[in-house]
Amino acid sequence: MSIQFLSANHAAGAAATLAGRANRTGRGFGGGIYPITPQSECIEYLCNQEFEKGHFVRVESEHSAMGVCMGFAFSGARTFTASSSNGLAYMTENVIAAALYRLPVVMMAVNRTLGPPWNIWVDHGDTLLLRDAGWTQFYCEDNQEVFDSILAGYRLAEDPRILIPCLVCQDAFVLSHTMMNTEIPDQELVDRFLPALDLPHRITDRAVTVGGLDFPHETEAHRVQHAQAMDRVWEVYPEVQAEFAAVFGRPLADPVVPYRMEDARIVLVSMGTTAATVRAAVDEARAKGIPAGSLRVRMFRPFPERILGEYLAGRPRIAILDRDISLGHGGVLWSETRGTVRHDCVLQNYVIGLGGGDIRPQHAAEIIADIGKRDRIGEPMIMEIG
Amino acid sequence: MAQSLEIRVHGRGGQGGVTCAKILAAAYARLGRHAQTFGDYAGERSGAPVRAYTRVSDQPITNRNKVYDPEHLLVLDDSLLGEDTLDGLVPGGTLLLNTAAPLDSLGERYDRCRLATVDATEIARRHKIGTRSVVIVNTTIAGAYARLFGIALRTLEETYEELGLASNFPAAREAYESVVERPPRLAPAPRPDGKVPLFNTVFVEPLTAHLESPPTGLRTGSWSTQRPVYAEKLAPCNAWCPAGNDVVGFLQTLRREGEAAAAAVLGRSTPLAGVCGRVCPAPCMEGCNRREYDGSVHIRGLERWISDHTPVAVRTVVRQVAPFRVAIVGGGPAGIAAAYELAKAGHAATIFEGEKELGGVLRTGIPAYRLAREVVDREIGDVLSLGVEARCGEFLDPARLEALAAEFDAVVLATGLQRLTGLRVPGAELAGIEQGIRFLHRVNLEGGVRMDGHVVVLGGGNTAMDCARSALRAGADRVTIAYRRTRLEMPAIREEVEEAEHEGVRLLMQRQPIAFHGEGRVREIVLAEVTMGEPDESGRRRPVVTDATSRFECDHVLLALGQGAQLGILPDGWELRGERVHRGGTPLAVFAAGDLATGDGTVTHAVGNGRRVAGLVLQALGEDVEPFARPDRRHAVPITNLRLDHFPRAAPAQETCEPAADRRTRFAEVNHGLPDGSEADRCFSCGHCTRCDTCLVYCPEGIIRRRTADSGYEIDYTYCKGCGLCVEECPREAMTMTTL
Amino acid sequence: MLEPTRERPARTAPVGEIPALGGMVQTAADRPEPILRPGSTNCGGCGMSIVWNLLSHASAAVKVQIVIPACCGIVSPGKFPFSAYGAPVISSTFASTAAVATGLAQVANMNGDPTRVVCFAGDGGTYDIGMATLSAAAERNEDLLYICYDNEIYGNTGGQRSSATPMGASTTTTPDGETLPKKDILSIMAAHRVPYAASVSLAHLDDTMRKLRYALDRRGFRFLHVLSPCPTGWKSEPAEGIDLIRYAIRSGLYPIFEVFDGFRTVVNLEPDFDDEALEKYFAAQGRFRKSTLKLEAVREEIRRYWEILRSRTGLGTVAG
Repeated sequence: MSIQFLSANHAAGAAATLAGRANRTGRGFGGGIYPITPQSECIEYLCNQEFEKGHFVRVESEHSAMGVCMGFAFSGARTFTASSSNGLAYMTENVIAAALYRLPVVMMAVNRTLGPPWNIWVDHGDTLLLRDAGWTQFYCEDNQEVFDSILAGYRLAEDPRILIPCLVCQDAFVLSHTMMNTEIPDQELVDRFLPALDLPHRITDRAVTVGGLDFPHETEAHRVQHAQAMDRVWEVYPEVQAEFAAVFGRPLADPVVPYRMEDARIVLVSMGTTAATVRAAVDEARAKGIPAGSLRVRMFRPFPERILGEYLAGRPRIAILDRDISLGHGGVLWSETRGTVRHDCVLQNYVIGLGGGDIRPQHAAEIIADIGKRDRIGEPMIMEIG
Repeated sequence: MAQSLEIRVHGRGGQGGVTCAKILAAAYARLGRHAQTFGDYAGERSGAPVRAYTRVSDQPITNRNKVYDPEHLLVLDDSLLGEDTLDGLVPGGTLLLNTAAPLDSLGERYDRCRLATVDATEIARRHKIGTRSVVIVNTTIAGAYARLFGIALRTLEETYEELGLASNFPAAREAYESVVERPPRLAPAPRPDGKVPLFNTVFVEPLTAHLESPPTGLRTGSWSTQRPVYAEKLAPCNAWCPAGNDVVGFLQTLRREGEAAAAAVLGRSTPLAGVCGRVCPAPCMEGCNRREYDGSVHIRGLERWISDHTPVAVRTVVRQVAPFRVAIVGGGPAGIAAAYELAKAGHAATIFEGEKELGGVLRTGIPAYRLAREVVDREIGDVLSLGVEARCGEFLDPARLEALAAEFDAVVLATGLQRLTGLRVPGAELAGIEQGIRFLHRVNLEGGVRMDGHVVVLGGGNTAMDCARSALRAGADRVTIAYRRTRLEMPAIREEVEEAEHEGVRLLMQRQPIAFHGEGRVREIVLAEVTMGEPDESGRRRPVVTDATSRFECDHVLLALGQGAQLGILPDGWELRGERVHRGGTPLAVFAAGDLATGDGTVTHAVGNGRRVAGLVLQALGEDVEPFARPDRRHAVPITNLRLDHFPRAAPAQETCEPAADRRTRFAEVNHGLPDGSEADRCFSCGHCTRCDTCLVYCPEGIIRRRTADSGYEIDYTYCKGCGLCVEECPREAMTMTTL
Repeated sequence: MLEPTRERPARTAPVGEIPALGGMVQTAADRPEPILRPGSTNCGGCGMSIVWNLLSHASAAVKVQIVIPACCGIVSPGKFPFSAYGAPVISSTFASTAAVATGLAQVANMNGDPTRVVCFAGDGGTYDIGMATLSAAAERNEDLLYICYDNEIYGNTGGQRSSATPMGASTTTTPDGETLPKKDILSIMAAHRVPYAASVSLAHLDDTMRKLRYALDRRGFRFLHVLSPCPTGWKSEPAEGIDLIRYAIRSGLYPIFEVFDGFRTVVNLEPDFDDEALEKYFAAQGRFRKSTLKLEAVREEIRRYWEILRSRTGLGTVAG
């Protein structure tokens, strides 16, 4: 165990490296990598590591990066790549393919605004574009969580009950380039947490055709199986958390992270680093006697509908903070969360921090104030703060 | 209630089922109805089952489901009549089927519907719609549909024009005119419920399973109406060989199994392979498809090579309980061949020969430098060793023949061509002018014959060449051959002519003698120049004598102008008709064989006819045999049907010969034959499979397998898509496409 | 017209003498199960099927893993979970063949597996959408054998034009005939200086077998280009596919050569530059029927191409 002062990009790289080395007794480690700001530090980190049985292929595009990962995964290797923004958009076809093939790829995505015009700062629109791609998705709040989520992501993705690729997301610059102390476990512990991958559908010499034709019923059945595996995450993830705690001696965050929720009558729901900002505003509000609380949605796929429903039951005012927008509709988190609420309440969408606008506690305080005044739901409110 | 109609079309990818449904919809739309049409697309290709649907109504159509309960069902191919093809056809509905089967042959399965049939495949094939393996019948069968449902031809024609299918309309019209139908024979059955289940509960393996993919089991053999088969065809060498030798058979056997096995193939038809391998004009080589390509296979040389290295004649015969006794008059090639054929079948043959030994022309006519006597001795010895009896030294007269006819079960006359063609020109009676045959007889049987001065030989056949070259060896100073036609028309073997020239014989073409001069003995010959006129009945151009003449001094003239049959041996009242002797119109058990019967004049013809007549004899005696008959050359595989790309060009092998300077003074055999049997590798093996694997390698489906039981292949028709590549790529036309 | 500058290379033994492919097919020396089993959905007479068969024989002693992008080749095996393929096959997305295969090959090499990874893609997946991926894998010299079966059309989607479609060919998207010459894929691949790039002829089994075996055996990136008859797309008789290839080769339209390490260029089959072959090639295919293309223009293309090719072989230029 060591404490290292790392950017979250490097933390992701360090976690991938340890996970990769843990598969040295298996089929090895690697993937295709392609640079894009603000993720490049992560793949650069990997290119500076030595692997007993591992190799990263410096490909010509994100699309091929995921293609190479699929080849690695089909061959039974543990595989990793990282991307961001338009890179993810370009990669999308193969992101979907990796999931449909049920390959336990782990990818770190740095959330960055989609262009053009070009903008390198944080926005969740890029990975939310992939919400239907069949991956599990985790949104992290700090450097340690990025590191932990990558290790846990492998454990979850490779579980034979799951076999679904995992996307670990972190906010551009706010996390990716921000250096903080990070607890890095020894390889020995990681080896214990991540046994060698034994992919049941690994391609060997047997005559199997993967990905020929599905007729309607085959597709129905394959989608059902995929959906059922997503459902099993609720059974497997707590096991992963328990194992994580047992091996590393610290907890792995829950799918939904509550803050001062016990008697909260105003709840702010957010993802990523926004939640930290929100917590500061909650404290301030509480100090003023306003019963505010915060929910951070860490796991976006599978969507924690039951958990959110329980937390939000009976809360009169719910503010959903989206750092993304589904144009023509509103925030994606809002549109998904509101389905979990069964009672009459004010459930208001605040789209905030698009294009990397710096969300400060005062903005959260404004939201608390705004929703406190509302007696009914309004149109999604887009806040320009940049 | 709206008047509406649902139509389902069952076709195969490439047959145009979707277009068929579209034609029907377009025709109805042209008649002012609302129409809808669409295909049920799958991933399968040319030949795979496809469904298409058409809906017609007098109200706007909103239903976009597939058609489950059609009123009209079109089946574009009767191989599509699977279990579920008729599913949902409403009671009393119409089934229009493309089939060649007669309407009445279709069973009770169709008794509850109105059934109509048309042979659209045949019509479309004739109109060349589609390819040979995938005939497109959509536009044709739509014509039949129009007839059944009263769509006017004019409407249909306009529809075809609208859809850009005008060129297919004549086929549609033909189907319109030829469709036949019968009404339902039984009352409609009550409709079963829930045939198409609403939900599918069949288990599907997840993609995460450790799977091995089983074969598809897709029976693609039903995709085509064509099918390749292995079919041996007539090789030109076999068609051309007068002896009926299985030429392609012995060449390929030599190549594959060596000379002993090849000799066994030859021995089935001839005991005189060593003889024919030396003196045959080799019509087989004329017919050989390789001739046009890079030179005929040296078949004669190979026949000789085999017989020089291993005995050809069979050693064992079929034992008969009561063999027939057959007398053969004449111990030349025809007689020997007939005796051999009879002996092989276990019958007793006795040959009567006037000379001291069997052989006929092989000893009296053909010089030893061409045909070594030990070859003749050996091959006749082989025939005799089968139990054939030889009685030599007696020339038969009619009385003796009559006696033989009484004594033996049958008699075969094989006395050859004893009548010699003379010349009726002034001076023909002069001394020094002699029949070439007589000269050769003296040279060959008596020995020590001498010639001197200038010898002129008249004629262009092998006898002429033999005379000329024998005259040289007998001491002539120079020899000239005069022939009335051109070199191309000389009947002599080409190599013989060339060898004669090498030895110094001079050839004068298109010359005909018109007079001899001399006092008591010939001293000069007058030759007229000849031009070539119209072809005569033999196909050769007729020589026309001109006024231009030239004179040559000469000391001897040898006539080699041809021979004819001599029938003086027949008793009074006996008459030869073809190959059988008759008396008073009644056939006798007396036959004629060889030159006597046919006048063909070569050893190989004599062998073939000897065989044939032996067969006729046995047949006349009540045996169940098929006498040999020359196959029809027109059925031989032509060179255009071979896949020549598979054959590298290679020059024929050459026989080695004594140097000309050495040989012209000696009677020792000039030709030493081929150095080895590798020339057989050049054989195309026309029409005969050699197991070259080309079909197997090119079969896109990989469904041609070698049979272990014999030397052939088998095709798994369950999967054969009938593309025809195997047949097209077969180097030697040993395969054929058949239409189902 | 062109004159060949060299004599025809000596041919191998005549077919009559030694069975095709040396008689190894369906023997103990062959694969126990073919790569393409009976029951595929391919059209009758499909050139791709023949390529599979030849690859199957050539790889008899080799374990292969195959990557096929979206193309006819991934529809051939039929419906899940069945398959006409008797070897491990992965379907990649259209552009990703060489990328997915890179992953497989890297892991195989990393683990010392003897497996050879083969990419099998059509002209659309090679010349067009997969070009960047292919180029990158070639440039990285990945240990892959990439086989492009080129039917000069998007066959799987019903016959649209690709950049491999030759001048004069009608497709559903060039109904009046393609006006541009096809992309010179082999030169492009050779320019990556890959260890081996060659065109192969389905009509010359021995040459093709030699190349397939060599290409399977060599390490690094190998590229094979196969002109593959498509009776459906070419509107030709299924039986005549191989003969069409012969015409294409004899006329010089389809040059058969190999390039080693991007430098050494060897012409394997000398064309006759035969006008009759060229005319027959065009006449036998319905796809050229509507074209107003003059054969003169094609001949000029052939002449220019061979002039360049001759200069690369170092054997002098062609008399024009």
